[in-house]
Amino acid sequence: MPKSRTKDDPSVKALAYSRFYGGKVGISPKVPVRSLQDFSIWYTPGVAAVSRAIAADPDLSFEYTGRWNTIAVISDGTRVLGLGDIGPEGALPVMEGKALIYNYLGGVNAYPLPIRAKDEDHLISVVRALEPSLGGVNLEDIESPICFEVLDTLTREMEIPVWHDDQQGTAGVVLAGLFNALELTGRRLRGTKIVLFGAGAANVAAARLLVKAGADPKDLVVLDSKGILQPERDDIDSLSLRNKWKYDLALSTNGERRSGGLKEALRDADVLVAAAGVGPNLVKKEEVREMSKDSIVFLLANPVPEMLPEDALAAGAAVVATGRSDYPNQVNNSLLFPAIFRGALDVRARRITDTMVISAAKELASFAKRKGISRRRILPSMVDWQVYPSVAATVGEAAVREGEARKKSSKDELLKTATEVIEHSRKTMDTLRKSGVIIEPPD
Amino acid sequence: MSHRTKPLTSRSGPGAVPGVKIRPATEGDASSAADLIVRTKRLNNEFDPMFAVVEGARARAERYVVASLDADDRLLLVASEGPKVVGVLRAEMRERMFYEPSPEGFITDFYILPEHRRRALGHDMLERATRDLKKMGARVIVAEVPTQNEIGYKFYTKRGFRSLVQHFGKQP
Repeated sequence: MPKSRTKDDPSVKALAYSRFYGGKVGISPKVPVRSLQDFSIWYTPGVAAVSRAIAADPDLSFEYTGRWNTIAVISDGTRVLGLGDIGPEGALPVMEGKALIYNYLGGVNAYPLPIRAKDEDHLISVVRALEPSLGGVNLEDIESPICFEVLDTLTREMEIPVWHDDQQGTAGVVLAGLFNALELTGRRLRGTKIVLFGAGAANVAAARLLVKAGADPKDLVVLDSKGILQPERDDIDSLSLRNKWKYDLALSTNGERRSGGLKEALRDADVLVAAAGVGPNLVKKEEVREMSKDSIVFLLANPVPEMLPEDALAAGAAVVATGRSDYPNQVNNSLLFPAIFRGALDVRARRITDTMVISAAKELASFAKRKGISRRRILPSMVDWQVYPSVAATVGEAAVREGEARKKSSKDELLKTATEVIEHSRKTMDTLRKSGVIIEPPD
Repeated sequence: MSHRTKPLTSRSGPGAVPGVKIRPATEGDASSAADLIVRTKRLNNEFDPMFAVVEGARARAERYVVASLDADDRLLLVASEGPKVVGVLRAEMRERMFYEPSPEGFITDFYILPEHRRRALGHDMLERATRDLKKMGARVIVAEVPTQNEIGYKFYTKRGFRSLVQHFGKQP
């Protein structure tokens, strides 16, 4: 599976291009500067009137400034991609990449903002302090289980939506893919036996979303590096003190009280969602053979999935998805997060609730169905750019329904707005490229 | 981490937990009770490395439990759901040599399996132990928990106990 490092290798290109461009995103003006006189409008003295108006009504900051469309992509650099704790500077290129995707696919202005936080409380306090400048926060690459507490606290304490893509983004796309995979194999979520291999950010959130979407918690079995979570595991008291999210899963899932490892968990299971670490030998063919007929196997580790997709198919899986673009059925967060924030920002949502994520996942699945699904195509592709306004409008509508929207709009209006904003971003890119402001990369 | 786990029980009032019986342990409970005793020791270790659990703790726990079964000055209660032991409480009578009242019922071990917590079972077991220890002559009830165990601290203070002694330790 690993390729040799030629000049076409993305790693080689990424290093060369990053140096060439000196960063992937920047701040460019939105207003015309016809002459230097215009600065008396955009800046002092004219701007003081805008400041006074906002000071009297801080909500006007969403109308008089770019706050309505601005988020920060924040990381402490403690769990970056599969690289681990590489620090905030090391996280910067990743956050820049994320900001670029937000802009191009969602029309969202996203600031890459890795921060040096000495602990969880410091991280929470810095993010909270940024609230007046932002319409939302995307948390990224923060180690588990700290990420859970950080997201829960900030969601509770901030009046703008906070999203942790490694939790909600991955779980949302898994759910979308699963909706279609279940349909293709003649199953319903209720009654389907689902094994979640790996109990980090993605699968802890997936378990919660699955239950909220209708799965019976007793039909879920979750495994971490020590085996199946169950209430009488030797380390259960340690979990109760150190990871209350895993502890709660140990108590609420696994109705059959299974114990042991993956083989025991997969016996007669319908679905495997592996987010357990770099493969390809973490899941074995004989373990997949233990699953029910026409099983569904999601292998999310990148760059090497927990088992080779072809091995999963050979072991009887009917639908196999991975995190990779070079295999069918890519479970890619980028299908969701730009649209989630487009929708949340367009209604000035206070929060992104699980119900909003489930609505987004359903729309993502429906969009794929409208285009035609098969066992090798359970999700839309990123090139189907219309998926973003479509999901965004659904998210906005769900926020209105949930009472989280500070700005009410109909779904048609939301679709129109999202389409316009996203088209504007794409058009900006095209224009900048055509005019030579953004130049092509060197060979 | 700022997360604090909830107390063992969230209910303050008494009342039997449906399907769970609190009773004196019998010989047949020894193995399960020993398992739970070892869990308390491992839990203590979560709070302080000075409570590192020794090799062979399980065998010691079983001897400890068996020695508590028929002794007049020891109390061993279990909570059972059908045949399954889901909680254990061990206590012993002690004399406070220089203080009065002197007879002391001292709770040495107390553990409930996680899925049976938050149902007031801990409260009920403590009530039953208090009653039995009083019958054995206790005029003071004392329980021992590691200093760092905030869950235990809250459990007892919520039920009218106060901290009496601080043990200080170090490895020289």
